[in-house]
Amino acid sequence: MKWVACELHTHTFHSDGRQSLAELAAGAKNLGFDCIALTDHNTMTGLAGKEVIERETGLSIISGMEWTTFFGHMVTIGLDEFLDWRPVGPGDIHAGLSRVHERGGLAGMAHPFRAGSPMCTGCYWEFEISDWNDIDYIEVWSTTFAPVKNNNIRAFRLWTEKLNEGYRIAATSGRDWHHQDPTDDPLSVTYLQLEEGDAPITAKVVGALSASRASVTLGPLLNLEVTSRGTNYGIGSAVPGGRASGSTFVAAVSADFQVRKGHWKLEDQRYTLKLDSNKGILAEEIITSDAPRLEAEIPDEDLLWIRAELWGMVKGVRTIIAFTNAVYFD
Amino acid sequence: MKTVLVDAQGKVTPAGSKSHIAYRFFVPNAADRLGVHFTYGPKYLEDQEKAKLLIEQGIEAYFEAEYLEQAKARWQSYLPLQNLITVSVDAPDGHRGAAHRHDREQLHVLSRHEATPGLAQGEIIPGMWEVTLSLHAIVTDVCDYTLKVWLEEEGTR
Repeated sequence: MKWVACELHTHTFHSDGRQSLAELAAGAKNLGFDCIALTDHNTMTGLAGKEVIERETGLSIISGMEWTTFFGHMVTIGLDEFLDWRPVGPGDIHAGLSRVHERGGLAGMAHPFRAGSPMCTGCYWEFEISDWNDIDYIEVWSTTFAPVKNNNIRAFRLWTEKLNEGYRIAATSGRDWHHQDPTDDPLSVTYLQLEEGDAPITAKVVGALSASRASVTLGPLLNLEVTSRGTNYGIGSAVPGGRASGSTFVAAVSADFQVRKGHWKLEDQRYTLKLDSNKGILAEEIITSDAPRLEAEIPDEDLLWIRAELWGMVKGVRTIIAFTNAVYFD
Repeated sequence: MKTVLVDAQGKVTPAGSKSHIAYRFFVPNAADRLGVHFTYGPKYLEDQEKAKLLIEQGIEAYFEAEYLEQAKARWQSYLPLQNLITVSVDAPDGHRGAAHRHDREQLHVLSRHEATPGLAQGEIIPGMWEVTLSLHAIVTDVCDYTLKVWLEEEGTR
């Protein structure tokens, strides 16, 4: 498996962006991304000619569309055909989700708590969700310098609540990238862990995201591995049930500060690595970028999920800098 | 030759927010091009008092209690409030795209060889076509729109 730097929420002038796909792809390449999903509002025509742009830039481009409805924005990826958002009312989103899934796509809640109409039409998620298993991912970090924004903090909390309820939902970032104007804001990256092999890149991305093999960051790439009864379990995998009571497992967290070198910068500091779970913080360690590791022996009691988090100072604000998706427990 | 198929004007009000207006029209024969011209206005809600009220109502709905006052103090960051109507096109054989953007005047052309951004190129085939106006938000008391749809043959424009 291989970690790939992705930007999963982008636009071109085929909707309301101010960039062509070629300009977007060149911008993403210059920032060290390996893969983007084009998620224009309610159209897929911006994807025309993507193969040429992929060849020229070396960037992978995944097809997608942001359902820009009156009652919420929903990012979809991995589909090669338009699905109609217009018949969907506030109580009908599961019908829409079924259509996405039938065709092999995934759907995520885009910026669910951004202020909605009339300030940003449909931006606040109002669709009724009766089965959270239908939601593949939540875009918990939207736009730039994402983790300090209140609407994102709320989205991150929603994700955590759903994990606590036992749902296995992925969490992603999305810049909602509309133009190439420069910014000094820290940028988020969603790393997806793709399988090796000859499968099409879209299938690999859909496979990784649907399995929560994702790690989200403003810079360093966080990884988490659980060892239980001699077997290792990575991000997104589930430790099988039937474990003896009173047993323990080992959780190992590491942060790779070498990824996308030169494309992000954090001040030298003492960071905090945390191991969070449905039972709260299980372990915590002060680290530096020279020794970015945490290993903890954890009692195997009533766990549904664990994830790693990296905290520290960014632009004078103490914030979460990176987090992994969960390792689950059956 | 240019054949006009739809030539409509309408008025919508805030009550029409979050609704669609579909114009369904018959294309009698295959053609080289389909043209769509759409305008609407006013674009902006100029009345600041009304805008403030709408923004405060929105903030009540979208923010958690502890951030309400902070958000309301920054109500002007949401200005200007705008009407947003977007255009999408459906052919008898399927969807032909949408132009989700803020322009208050839009000229779209579809043909076998070209299409304006957001719309898909393809044959202009006979049958019932549809142009849908999606009213994402109407914030002014009244918003007027015009819609014209026509067929063109090569050499004319």
